[in-house]
Amino acid sequence: MVSTSNLSPSTHPLADIIYRLENGGALLPDSPENVMEVVGILKSYGVVLDAYWRNLIYISEHQFLVLFPFFKYFNGEFSIGKLLRHWWHNRINYEFAEYCMKAMLWHGGGKLDAYLDTQEFCDRAQQAIQAKLRGNPLMQGVSKAFPDFLIEQVRQMAYYSVLGQFWRVMSPIFLTLSDRYDRGEIKSIPDVVNHVLQGLVRAADKPITYAVNIRGQEYELIPKSAGLTFLMDAAVPYVEAVFFRSFPFMGTVSYNAQARQIPPEQERFSYGALYADPLPVGGAGIPPTLLMQDMTHFIPDYLHRFYQRTPRGETDLRVKICVSFQKSMFCVTTAAILGLMPFPADTPDPEQRKKNRIYLENWMDRLLESRLISVQVCEV
Amino acid sequence: MLSALIVIPLLGAILIGLLPRVSSSHAQTGAEVPDYSRAIALLAVTLAIFWSVLLGFKFDTSISHLQFVENMPWIDALGLTYRLGLDGLSLPLLVINALLTWFAIYSTDELLQRPRLYYMLILMLNAGVAGAFLAQDLLLFFLFYEIELIPLYLLIAIWGGAQRGYAATKFLIYTAISGVLILAAFLGLTWLSGASSFGYDPSRSQFLPLATQLILLGTLLIGFGIKIPLVPLHTWLPDAHVEASTPISVLLAGVLLKLGTYGLLRFGLGLFPEAWSVLSPWLAIWAVVSVLYGAFTAIAQSDMKKMVAYSSIAHMGYILLGAAAATPLSILGTVFQMISHGLISALLFLLVGVVHKKTGTRDINILHGLLTPERGLPIIGSLMIVGVMASAGIPGMMGFISEFIIFRGSFPVFPVQTLLCMVGTGLTAVYFLLLVNRSFFGRLPVQFSNLPPVQWSERIPGFLLATMIVFLGLQPSWLVQWTETTTTAMLISYPTIGAVGHSLTQKDKG
Repeated sequence: MVSTSNLSPSTHPLADIIYRLENGGALLPDSPENVMEVVGILKSYGVVLDAYWRNLIYISEHQFLVLFPFFKYFNGEFSIGKLLRHWWHNRINYEFAEYCMKAMLWHGGGKLDAYLDTQEFCDRAQQAIQAKLRGNPLMQGVSKAFPDFLIEQVRQMAYYSVLGQFWRVMSPIFLTLSDRYDRGEIKSIPDVVNHVLQGLVRAADKPITYAVNIRGQEYELIPKSAGLTFLMDAAVPYVEAVFFRSFPFMGTVSYNAQARQIPPEQERFSYGALYADPLPVGGAGIPPTLLMQDMTHFIPDYLHRFYQRTPRGETDLRVKICVSFQKSMFCVTTAAILGLMPFPADTPDPEQRKKNRIYLENWMDRLLESRLISVQVCEV
Repeated sequence: MLSALIVIPLLGAILIGLLPRVSSSHAQTGAEVPDYSRAIALLAVTLAIFWSVLLGFKFDTSISHLQFVENMPWIDALGLTYRLGLDGLSLPLLVINALLTWFAIYSTDELLQRPRLYYMLILMLNAGVAGAFLAQDLLLFFLFYEIELIPLYLLIAIWGGAQRGYAATKFLIYTAISGVLILAAFLGLTWLSGASSFGYDPSRSQFLPLATQLILLGTLLIGFGIKIPLVPLHTWLPDAHVEASTPISVLLAGVLLKLGTYGLLRFGLGLFPEAWSVLSPWLAIWAVVSVLYGAFTAIAQSDMKKMVAYSSIAHMGYILLGAAAATPLSILGTVFQMISHGLISALLFLLVGVVHKKTGTRDINILHGLLTPERGLPIIGSLMIVGVMASAGIPGMMGFISEFIIFRGSFPVFPVQTLLCMVGTGLTAVYFLLLVNRSFFGRLPVQFSNLPPVQWSERIPGFLLATMIVFLGLQPSWLVQWTETTTTAMLISYPTIGAVGHSLTQKDKG
């Protein structure tokens, strides 16, 4: 593909992809097979996200400052049958959602990170802590001895809630995408990107808040007045943390710091969903990515049949799911890139197009080492 | 009763020969003509396995002399007698012959070209090897020893790799020379001792001058040394292995090489004990050379199959060391090592065969990350790790038991040579870890990320062999009990060897 604008050709190694984005395309090439894979996998992802967000919200509201939350994955519905199923691992791996939450907590970003360090938040958290510890002298002593300990726990609880709220919006976006595909309304990858983009735009200003109820009284930890919104304070930090920084694709690749495989400047270290190797490495018995495992239960029939036609059939289902998932995440990333683009992609103003070009080249710099090139040719 | 082990596979081969051929008209019309040759071959060998196991149950482990003896005059004028017998030396080898032939047939590609001829040849090979292990007449042994060359030559020459003609011819020339040398030694022994028949008689050489005995034993050693093979008579083996198909490599390493080591014990040590005791220090040195040369050369290989082939050469050296020391323990160890090496090398060759079939290469510089779950060959890789651990003598597996018994038995007689051979064991770990590390660990390269799936039928032989290797490593007495009486009795009959061993031990102490 060549640039259709009157800008000089880009010298970027991923110039073809930049031109594609400028012409209304996506990071992922458009093909009926890619559309089917992406929509199918996002449907199962939507189902899994639905379970994840419910659990994250449950933990943030009902396991608040429970320091040994043994049954946090049971959403308050404990039974021996559920426990046995949990141990058998034929279940939703909620741990994955927690890993993503921790990735956001560690990497920060957005106004949320800044707000959690304000005195206002500390005061609100302290009130909730005092209310929670009433009648518990042991924990009160601990809290006095280590005043930051429980505050940090509350910060983590805030991230539980924020990620839960983010996925509560994303899950229906993916499920309605699948419904529209089934009705024949989604026919191309740009259609997919546009659907996600519209969903993000619709929810962009949705406020992010967090409150807990302790002994019948509500404690607002992130009030509406903090001004946190869905797109800039939940979606963008999430994409940054999970797509570009760290993602718990357990057992897929390991880095050796002594062999200088990790750059000394941490911000240069890219190991997110868009970078993770879908092939497990090492030896037999390494656990597959929990998310892939969870999605195996919900992939639609047409996608399952597509996977079964490949040489390994059912054997490498999780690897194939991972490949499809990365394709879908490049679509979501496209939506984010287009949504944050300084000017509309089809702007006639040469100056604006030039700024858009610089913006896209900066993104491509970040994606140079990602799986972007591999997904162009469906390579594992 | 013993003849059944020769007759059953031969009958199977004849039956396959009588099957209707898939005619060209059938091929043109595309009509499916069922081919029963594989089923018949499997059935015949299964019967042979049952028969061998039955013999094993009926075998009296407290008796040192031959059992189930069959004796039939054949050509009196030549002094040739059809005399078969079974003792603790030949029984385990007979069982492994039947067992590995079954694995070889089972793991043969079902879409093989000219299947009738292939399975007939395998059954003939099985019959020939069984006959050689059972023969108690020198000429009869020689006949069986030579007969197995023909099917093996054809199996390499027809179904082998690109250089199969070269490899098969080299194999034929080397082993034909081996046969000539063995025949010459047998003729020399019989004629010079004035015997009227070729019957196996351990006391026959004792009236011959020592120089004559040394010449005859030397001839035998070179003859069997080619077959085993010992360095520098080994050059046919890596070529034959590389060009042979996987099932034939399994038979070659697992069974055919054992004809050489069996001959070494039965006819070298058994017929020339006095000369053996004179040559034994040199034999021990020869063993060290073979072990170290085989191991160092294996380290330098990049072809998995060649690496396993050179490892075979190294491991055969342990047998020569144990035979040279000729203590009851070391001789017992040599028999255990024959079975252990048979099972372990069969496992390794089978697994290398699967890797080659799936990836199209055996080059450890190209292969990488095959243990990768889901997309690689994780089960084959895990079995390979079991195989190389067994080969390197990790406790709990057969390789450890056999090497430990040999070293324990040979150390009092040849301490330096034993220690040097133990270095070879360490080197086994080096080259096999290189193999496993390069080929099985790390990230699966893009060109191998869509390997065809491995079927369970390809894994089952590996699982069975690995199970036997571990089981007999934990419970070696099941195998030892068959052999111990025979090997101990072998040495009691030859006081000279014990004396040499004893005098060397005394000298060391002095």
